Amino acid sequence: MSTDNQTSFTDIPEAVVSVAATDRSVSMVVDSELYPLQAVYGASYIFIDRCYVFIDRPEPGKYRVTLTAKESVEEAEALRQLVGEYANELLSCAWRHQVTQDNRVAIETVTVQAIAGAMGEPSLDDLADFDFTDEALDDPLGIAQSWEDKHGRKSPAEKEQAKAKVPEGEAAEATEAASTEEASA
Amino acid sequence: MTELRFPREVYVGEAVDEAVKTWSRFAEFELSETDDHWVVTVTPKHEAAARQIIGEFGNFVLGLTIDRGGVS
Amino acid sequence: MKLINLAEIKPRPGTQAFFRWRQIGDNAVLITNLEGNWLILDTAEFTQFARGEVEADSELHGRLLDKNFLRSNYDIQAAAERVKARKYFVHGGPLLHVMVVTLRCNETCVYCHASRANMDAVETDMSIETARKAVDLALSSTNGFITIEFQGGEPLVNFPVVKEIIEYATERNKEIQKRLEFTMVSNFALLTEDKLQYLLANKVQLCTSIDGPEELHNAQRKLPQTHNAFQAAAKWIKRVNEAYVEIGLDPTLYHVEALLTTTKATLDKWKEVVDTYVGLGCKTIFLRPVDPFGFAERARLRLEYPRGKYLEFYRNAVNYMIELNKQGVEILERYAAIFLTKILRGEDPNFLDNRNPAGAGIGQLAYSYDGNVYSCDEGRMLAATQDDAFLLGDVDTPYRKIVGHETIRAMTIATNLDQQPDCVNCAYNPYCGTNAAYNYKAQGSVFGRMRDNNVCAVHKGIQDFLFEKLAENDPEVMEIFERWTTIRPREHFVQEPGAAAELAEGETPSAD
Repeated sequence: MSTDNQTSFTDIPEAVVSVAATDRSVSMVVDSELYPLQAVYGASYIFIDRCYVFIDRPEPGKYRVTLTAKESVEEAEALRQLVGEYANELLSCAWRHQVTQDNRVAIETVTVQAIAGAMGEPSLDDLADFDFTDEALDDPLGIAQSWEDKHGRKSPAEKEQAKAKVPEGEAAEATEAASTEEASA
Repeated sequence: MTELRFPREVYVGEAVDEAVKTWSRFAEFELSETDDHWVVTVTPKHEAAARQIIGEFGNFVLGLTIDRGGVS
Repeated sequence: MKLINLAEIKPRPGTQAFFRWRQIGDNAVLITNLEGNWLILDTAEFTQFARGEVEADSELHGRLLDKNFLRSNYDIQAAAERVKARKYFVHGGPLLHVMVVTLRCNETCVYCHASRANMDAVETDMSIETARKAVDLALSSTNGFITIEFQGGEPLVNFPVVKEIIEYATERNKEIQKRLEFTMVSNFALLTEDKLQYLLANKVQLCTSIDGPEELHNAQRKLPQTHNAFQAAAKWIKRVNEAYVEIGLDPTLYHVEALLTTTKATLDKWKEVVDTYVGLGCKTIFLRPVDPFGFAERARLRLEYPRGKYLEFYRNAVNYMIELNKQGVEILERYAAIFLTKILRGEDPNFLDNRNPAGAGIGQLAYSYDGNVYSCDEGRMLAATQDDAFLLGDVDTPYRKIVGHETIRAMTIATNLDQQPDCVNCAYNPYCGTNAAYNYKAQGSVFGRMRDNNVCAVHKGIQDFLFEKLAENDPEVMEIFERWTTIRPREHFVQEPGAAAELAEGETPSAD
């Protein structure tokens, strides 16, 4: 275990190789052989409402997850709790990742039987409408482009125009985009 | 100015690009890359909110990466 | 709550069928599976399940087997049937058609700016021609059930167009033969006896808004002249309920229901809100949090609140409602009923904002006064703030182009919880839903980010509360929950093709 700074951790959870902490953040090193990236993603995602989360690769075979509390942290105990919670989530995600893998065939079979089975045969009209050309490969619907890019938020220039019309709109959006509202479950 | 180095093995490049686009209203960004990292230099437009902007930007990149199913 | 320590439990995969879990108490863990079966285990039972050490002849093994949690005995056929029952709506097509017949409104509500206009803004009235085209589009839905909901503004302000829609739709439905219903959301202040008789004759279900006790309601909903929006609504709630009895309808089933908008000012008044609704003869309260659509940013700061505060309000109000039910008062909370129907009955009540995938475009369409068609009412309100992201076309656009619009595809994909990072692991996944327009408005993307999403926080909080109640297993509460999930269809409001149109012709009330 490494204790670079102020906070020392005497009982780090089994899931974590080492822990380093400052007054506001904690970094945990995780063995990528034991914990797949999907589990690291899953556990990290749980914290993005409370923490700024950064994942890097300090060395091959390891992930380092740094959690920086958004709000001020009064005591080292709060950081210790973050480590414990993260380790718990990591174990849970790894476990559920494996459970999902184990049951993938069953999940797909159930879903296909429940959903696709009810679609019935295509009608003659459906077949008549079907595009048999290669044009679909040109991505006419812009599937490769994100929906927000095509239809969603406008460019800053367009926004300026909208702002002239509705003064409060832009302010609302800026606040919401940067919002860290006290809201989560 | 803060340099963030997102490992390619963890973060999806399109997620970095999209996050930069979304957050360009709040910060100046410079992008470069190495063999192992997407490198983003962030200069927040509002000094008072710099910590929040950089932190939320990082979360945004992670969120979009996970939305895309992560790095396969 | 003392968190369960998985490192101590040392879970082992291999024996469990696909499942999700959530700790709901010090000694209570909820497990749910793909098809929405659930069990509440104590820590010792959860430990056995997690380790794959459940004895084959144990009582726990029987429960896990019965609910399809064991991989070795997983019943695919039963699971498929359950999933099918829960997802029956996927193939339906739009059934709810919100028609905004005018933006004009006689009331000024503190939370509503964008979706209303002053009474002299006659240019925001829907025309007869647009109304007919909107009906044609609605009736071309693939869904055999069609509900046309009149909204505004205040729909009674443009009553001639309301009548036109009712009569034209009923006439057209003679040949199309769908199960057609009409609903009106009105503040009732402009209701007259003539209009009421017309609406009754044409089986239009009436719904109003009550924001709580008189003082709060009047502070939030300003009515010119009398300045008493509450009394205006209360008078007509009483009159409509009497009228239902006069035409021989069962008052326990047929009565006016009201909608609540919970603002910051509502939070401390949970008891007064419930008492007000009971006093007005309502049997349902829908404790809806205020949403970010339609009001200005300035108002948001005054009206909004942290969702934790809302959940405290929710718990207080519903606990009080449960106590009233124990004393014989019939009152239910709509959110709870929606979730409990999914949890206890394995059915989906098809509430469009809380299903997976959500109903925007594939379950509902919203028709603005100017003929523009949106994926949902929220999309229409967003357009009023110069953001037409959810515009699908207009009443001249062919039906298939509207529902096949790429915006609808994006919203459907975005509200499929099986691709949402947080939702894929959430024990409430089988009972939950997200709202793409809300996500877009609040978080900048139709996908949103569930960890700090207010709708997610509310849904999780309500389900936490309900599962805590289910874990307590109080027989009286369980009986109340059973009652809350017993759906009694209001058949009277279904139009009989032919008959309703004749009634309409027989009545000639003055328009305004």
